[in-house]
Amino acid sequence: MAGRAQIRTNSSALIAMIADEDTVTGFLLAGVGNVDLRRKTNYLIVASKTTVKAIEDAFREFTTKEDIAIVLISQYVSFHVANTIRFLVDSYNKPVPAILEIPSKDHPYDPTHDSVLSRVRYLFSSESAASGRR
Amino acid sequence: MENCEQSSPRAREEEEDEAKRGGGEGGGEEDEKIIQFLDSMDSYLTLMDSLSSTLRQGWLELASARHSMGSSRISSALLSHKVQSAATTMQVAESNDKSVTELQTHFTLSKWAYLREGKYSGEAEAGGFQNKSSGSQLRHRGPNNFAEGCKESYSTINGSPIASDGNIQRERSKSLSVFGTLVPPKLRAAQVSFETALDSIVELANMRSMVLSSLSQLQQEMESSS
Repeated sequence: MAGRAQIRTNSSALIAMIADEDTVTGFLLAGVGNVDLRRKTNYLIVASKTTVKAIEDAFREFTTKEDIAIVLISQYVSFHVANTIRFLVDSYNKPVPAILEIPSKDHPYDPTHDSVLSRVRYLFSSESAASGRR
Repeated sequence: MENCEQSSPRAREEEEDEAKRGGGEGGGEEDEKIIQFLDSMDSYLTLMDSLSSTLRQGWLELASARHSMGSSRISSALLSHKVQSAATTMQVAESNDKSVTELQTHFTLSKWAYLREGKYSGEAEAGGFQNKSSGSQLRHRGPNNFAEGCKESYSTINGSPIASDGNIQRERSKSLSVFGTLVPPKLRAAQVSFETALDSIVELANMRSMVLSSLSQLQQEMESSS
């Protein structure tokens, strides 16, 4: 029927995490931890020894899996540690999984580095540039 | 004379209203979209602030627990890599309404809910996906033969499936047992804080969806007007 909402649902999706040890431990206490049959977890603990490639691989894996609804990533990880995924985070457009940048224990939330707010700033800066040219 | 004097302000008001309606309908819709966008941005930032505060509390409680139990007793080395399903999951509903250009996504949290076969039942509801910032509008229909068995132990709040208190406590204890049989109250408090943080995260995800949707609509308006 024209105009009717088509609904796709996923009734049992996971929350993935790429964050520091305390943040991941806390959310695992809240029951979000999942280990599948291939012994793959839905989280990556980022420590000083964690390589950028491991973070990139985890990010790509979590954003392409169909059973993940939200990817939590420490803003510090996405902006400083693995700035190679900065472009991926900023240009990420899919509604699911939703990528949320969260603060970490040692680095508070910085709205100037939030990917959602960056997109808003970009829109308004391009609009003001366009109106200046008119 | 009095009637003329009384009707003229009224006539002026009516003329103004008609002018607003006739010439301002397009502008009114755009204003509404801008207001919706700004509201969602404000909510997003407020929720992020609330999440930061809740996480800080959780980290502090975790640090206190680590202080009383010892650093080695609360560490990622103790995390189990045995096959296990998440006790807290998400429900995602995407609508593709042709009256709205953007895909609307709604997230709902299922805390400590058993979503395995034979332990869950509910109904699916359609519609009302726009401007939903909290709560759940989605319930799922399960197989009929499981429905009766579920009623005793499981129920829904606002359409979200939850386990009974006994099952919730059992699941909470199971999560805590990774760090030992006897855990300090601070660790339990940290668990509750991170559960609260999950509520904020789900609201943030819904707000993010709304912000991006509003932003996209504004972008289209700007492009069409330029």
